Amino acid sequence: MFFYYLDLAWRSIKKTPFLSLLMILAISIGIGITITTLNIYKMASINPAGERSSQLFAVQLMSHDNDTWETINEQITYQDAINLSQSDVPVKQAAMFRTGLAVQTEDVNFSPILESVRVTGGDFFALFDVPFIYGRSWDKQVDEEGGYKVVISEDMNKEVFGGGDSVGKTLLLNRKPYQVVGVIENWNPSPKYYDVNNGAFNDSARVYVPFSLAPIEEYESWGNNQSWRHEDIRTYQDRLNSEMHWLQYWAELDTSAKQQEYQEWLGRYVEQQQQVGRFKRPDARGEIRDVAQWLNFNKVVSEDNKVLVGLSALFLVVCLVNMLGLLLAKFLKRAPEVGVRRAIGASRLQIFSQHLVEVGLIGFCGGALGLFWAWMALYFLSSKFDLEASLAQLDQSMWLIAPVIAVSAAIVAGIYPAWRICSTNPSVYLKSQ
Amino acid sequence: MFQIKPILSMLMRNKSGPLLLLIQIILSVAIVANASFIIAERVGLIARESGIVESEVFDLTVYNFDESIIAHEQNLIDVEIIRNLDGVKAATSSSMTPLSGGGWSSNFSYGTSEEERKDTPNAALYYGDEQMLSTLGVKLIEGRNFYPDEVSSGGPELASLAIVSADFAKDTFGDEPAIGQVMYRGNIGDQPMKIIGVVERLQSAWVDYSNINRSVILNTELGSAFTRFLVRADESAIADLKEAIPAALHKEHPNRVVSGFTTITEHRNSSYRDHELMATVLSMMVVLLLLITSLGLAGMVMFNIERRTKQIGTRRALGAKKRDIVSFFLVENYLLCLVGGLLGGLIAVQLGQQLMTLYSLPKLELIYPIATVAGLLVLTTIAVILPAQKAAKISPATATRSV
Amino acid sequence: MLSMNNISKVFKTDLVETHALRDFNLEVNEGEFVAVTGPSGSGKTTFLNIAGLLEGFTHGDYFLDGVNISNLSDNKSAAIRNEKIGFIFQGFNLISDLNLAENVEVPLRYRGFNAKERKIRVERALEQVGLASRMKHLPTQLSGGQQQRVAIARALAGEPRFLLADEPTGNLDSLMARQVMELLEDINKAGTTIIMVTHDADLARRAQRNIQIVDGQVCDFTMYQGGQSEQKPLTIADAASVA
Repeated sequence: MFFYYLDLAWRSIKKTPFLSLLMILAISIGIGITITTLNIYKMASINPAGERSSQLFAVQLMSHDNDTWETINEQITYQDAINLSQSDVPVKQAAMFRTGLAVQTEDVNFSPILESVRVTGGDFFALFDVPFIYGRSWDKQVDEEGGYKVVISEDMNKEVFGGGDSVGKTLLLNRKPYQVVGVIENWNPSPKYYDVNNGAFNDSARVYVPFSLAPIEEYESWGNNQSWRHEDIRTYQDRLNSEMHWLQYWAELDTSAKQQEYQEWLGRYVEQQQQVGRFKRPDARGEIRDVAQWLNFNKVVSEDNKVLVGLSALFLVVCLVNMLGLLLAKFLKRAPEVGVRRAIGASRLQIFSQHLVEVGLIGFCGGALGLFWAWMALYFLSSKFDLEASLAQLDQSMWLIAPVIAVSAAIVAGIYPAWRICSTNPSVYLKSQ
Repeated sequence: MFQIKPILSMLMRNKSGPLLLLIQIILSVAIVANASFIIAERVGLIARESGIVESEVFDLTVYNFDESIIAHEQNLIDVEIIRNLDGVKAATSSSMTPLSGGGWSSNFSYGTSEEERKDTPNAALYYGDEQMLSTLGVKLIEGRNFYPDEVSSGGPELASLAIVSADFAKDTFGDEPAIGQVMYRGNIGDQPMKIIGVVERLQSAWVDYSNINRSVILNTELGSAFTRFLVRADESAIADLKEAIPAALHKEHPNRVVSGFTTITEHRNSSYRDHELMATVLSMMVVLLLLITSLGLAGMVMFNIERRTKQIGTRRALGAKKRDIVSFFLVENYLLCLVGGLLGGLIAVQLGQQLMTLYSLPKLELIYPIATVAGLLVLTTIAVILPAQKAAKISPATATRSV
Repeated sequence: MLSMNNISKVFKTDLVETHALRDFNLEVNEGEFVAVTGPSGSGKTTFLNIAGLLEGFTHGDYFLDGVNISNLSDNKSAAIRNEKIGFIFQGFNLISDLNLAENVEVPLRYRGFNAKERKIRVERALEQVGLASRMKHLPTQLSGGQQQRVAIARALAGEPRFLLADEPTGNLDSLMARQVMELLEDINKAGTTIIMVTHDADLARRAQRNIQIVDGQVCDFTMYQGGQSEQKPLTIADAASVA
């Protein structure tokens, strides 16, 4: 019966091309707008950590005084980072920050490039599940004693060494030789959740160096350097000893028991620091947030996105009300034909289904067209505003979401007209005047 | 005259069609009023003046990774090299680029003693030299600029003189003159900085910061290996300078990376990108929504005309003029539009209230729903008159024919 | 076959109460050809609509082919219409977007026949009315008489026990009307019970049995013609004697 209804629906659409086009247009524009904003929202709110989301925790410490910052900060100080790394509760953990270094090779003709570099611990790659193509991370000893080792991305490897297994080769960073120990895939989570304060949607670093080299090489911080009190910071050592927040800290806690244990550990740490005169606030504490909570805490999805999704949902409702009116007009005009069908033995349910199939077909066409509008809109927006590719591409899920929303929305709009037409008394329309 | 009563009773008898149109109008008004308000707010943000000749100013960064380079000396040499290039009007080292989204900010203390200490509001900090004012093109309205020999080099702790923006002066000292005031970093007495000039307007780096106009220029170069320069040049010369500056700086010393070359205009575009994106998407929404609503209106009128063909013919036969038929449809839809507009306006205000409490959006101004309803009336007229004129052409003879 | 006992139908609006049928009694046997006449507004159409399960009724009992029709669900009455009843209307009521074959096919679709079965039945029905060669034509390409024959084919395709015709020749000229009438008579001879509403006395006379409806009640045609002032409802026995 479904295909019979589909056939009838198609004939009906063809018979009133203008009205049908108007309806398809109305719903497609609604879908187009909704999918556009939903796509931007979805791409911005994606949880890139996937199944590890609930095992990875950003560590925050309320180390500042009263009457300074109001809330807990997203970064921590160097001294806290060093102290936190003493805990053996987390399976893996790493402190990190962003710096910039001039990259050269031993080839003198290679003109130096300024690269954004991530300074972090050797656990970083295992922590965030970064896949290696060649080699592996530097070992524990480097993290403890320092060592001129570097991990580069596939991209970087191609650019400086022309690709291939470059493990063992030498890379010059600020004219110092570093030994390449690993090449990772072009790993670029979006949002870049492990460090959102440098822009959540820009690209990840292509060069990684040991955190243990920071005091030796005095890497500049290219991130946010946040001070809650004035400190006279002249040397790098001043910075390391200061109360300045400039590091991100992540820990892997794979079970709720571990999480509980770590919370308690942090509590003891804060108490211990209070005894040496830090953490003066009465509500001084440590907090951990998994990836989802972390993205939420940092408002990675801007409020504008939410407003847009809400307004476009309302927009879709307007389109549906519009369509409802047109459907009602269209269906009621067809009452005589329905009367005949009823007399010949169609039940109400069959008439109802016939019309819902028609509405569904209109919805489906609208959804397909709407997907096209959304694609156009995203293309236009991304070229006009130079959007990050990760935000502007049409997510694959939209191929399913668009028709599902379109068809179900159309059916919602079609229920009343279909009910009206199937519940009118057929005998009224059978008598010719 | 307008036959409001018969129209009303007709609308009441035929509930579903007009009701749907009403709902559509209500929702459209609610959405359009809020959307256009947000658009206007964003456009207003973007339209704020920075006080800077944006199209002539660009920034560049120099990274001296060679440890043999003594940064604060090299930076002075470099700024001179840039100034001597063709097309350059002025250049300065700077701690930050206006409207770029990243930079320095801090507050200061002031007062006669630690007991009577007061703190200034937070301000953007521009560390630079005597050409900062001419590079940015900001207008000095009180006091004087730094003299070249007053500018130091080597770090923020060397700053001793300040030129402040008028907004900073007013927010800090009120009606008292700012010139001659002394500010301190940290406690009273630590690193005094005397205010010697006031500029009319200078925006900071952060466009979403509510006090974007609070800026302070300090008389020192930072002496860092990673240095930023601001350059002002003829617009036509900027393309050539992108080649000439790195060439000149590399000639001076090869072991460094020169990058950047982004004009303030470009920084502005990327800083306001999200606002512009929001305004664009919302504008698209408003236009399409009005389109859909008017199409719906026109469709309804057409449907009604078809349904009432005989009735219209009868009216014509009974002596109604063509004009009467058009005005019949117009009045019918104006009624819907006004009722819908009124209810829509109320919902718009409610929606605005919700948006204000949930998100950091300002309160909806009443003029927006009012203007939306006015616009809708115009649109209704167009959407109704076109099909209604067709209805007016219906022959009175239709009445006498059965079917 | 069809049995109506004390059927009443009342239409209510805010202002008035109209009795379309009052204590209506009628018995029709299998294979009969019954003509129903009456002045307009007498309740003919209401009777036909109730007989055809298109409308409910207020009081009384109605049995069709042994099935009690009171309080049937919509699904069940649709199924009965589909299987046991064929309709023929004055205005033909063909669906203009569908060609002849598709029009005839409509009831078979709702019956749930497969494509092969539908094809056989459509061809057979159209052959029966002499229009098999025009299967792909649209209704608007046919004359009124031809359209009515298609409508009859549509009614026959489902092989109903019962044919309800509402002024089947009302929109046709006399020649075409005769052809249609002959067709109906042939169908009746083949065993289908027919109830035909008409106001054409000549046509009515060709039926086996005539019934007149006046003011929502069945009247003995001959008695009315005889000029008796008292109208009394026709009892089953009376109806039999009329026949």
